[in-house]
Amino acid sequence: MNVLVAEDDPDIQVILKMVLTRLGKCEVSITYQGDEVVSQAKMHRPGLILLDVMLPEMSGFEICRALKSDPETRSIPIIFLTARAMPVDIKEALAIGAVGYLAKPFDPMTLVTQINEILAPLGTSIGV
Amino acid sequence: MENAQLSFEHILNATVRMLRTTWKAKVCLFLQLADNGELRVRASDGLSLDELSTIAVQPSEGAIAQCFSNDKIVEVNSPDALGPLAKLVKTHLKKDQKFVLSPVSGETRVLGILCLGPFAKKEKIYPRESELRSAGALCAVLSAHWRLYEWMSGFVPQLNHELRTPLTAVQGSIGMVLGGMFGQVGSDVKEMLEMAQKGCERTVRAIEDYINNQNPPK
Repeated sequence: MNVLVAEDDPDIQVILKMVLTRLGKCEVSITYQGDEVVSQAKMHRPGLILLDVMLPEMSGFEICRALKSDPETRSIPIIFLTARAMPVDIKEALAIGAVGYLAKPFDPMTLVTQINEILAPLGTSIGV
Repeated sequence: MENAQLSFEHILNATVRMLRTTWKAKVCLFLQLADNGELRVRASDGLSLDELSTIAVQPSEGAIAQCFSNDKIVEVNSPDALGPLAKLVKTHLKKDQKFVLSPVSGETRVLGILCLGPFAKKEKIYPRESELRSAGALCAVLSAHWRLYEWMSGFVPQLNHELRTPLTAVQGSIGMVLGGMFGQVGSDVKEMLEMAQKGCERTVRAIEDYINNQNPPK
């Protein structure tokens, strides 16, 4: 599966790429710019988007709204993976169309399992 | 946090309403000094806050400057002296009338302005200066608390983010090594890394206890 990751911290980019590639058996693209997330989502139609909230220029919430309002990208599952893990943020993420919300810091060895638990109702998964 | 902020907004608007009715005025506005140095309408009675919310007044403009810079009550006969507020106040101000600008003073500086009127030109305002000053002091306290809550509502998520982001890199790296992604490690190294991981977990729990579950005092 192709996974598009929107993350601006270079260290976390490395960790996510390693975990998703090795344990999740995914092809991973990483960016941190909102407009690039939208254009890459349109061009490559990833099977999953992992989205941080606090990104420069466009917030993760704004990116999610843009993706969900576009018929071409509306069906791509979005999971927020973010340090902004207050109840109000989780509520907003789910309200604007994300399928799930994972808080940082995350355990890299169980991240794939956690993602699959969220994706299970959609009948899709990574790492298999 | 949101409820507390809403309460300050309500109390501030109620204070302005009380002031307007007590002084038998048609309009009472409270303009607060914003971080960018402009005065913005934060509470209003007699005029809709919607049309006022976009108005920014420079404290160096006309009669407002006299009130703001000199911490002095000023009477205004011409709406033009009210800068960007003129358009809104114009309809309420006739030839033989005036508006009053009263400073809202904090401990060390002027925090805003109360704009009240119209009054008959001959009406004497200065004998009632202490009433205006007291109302201004109440607005100053409410406004300061409101600003504090606004600041907190931005600061807490930011602090949460700033603490969790580096922990993600630390905990993630340790987790991958301990999880065997780079091969097996010796028992001494494993013990040290487990200790570091526990430290990270304790810090995350502390963040959750102190930040995520933090509610404002009731």
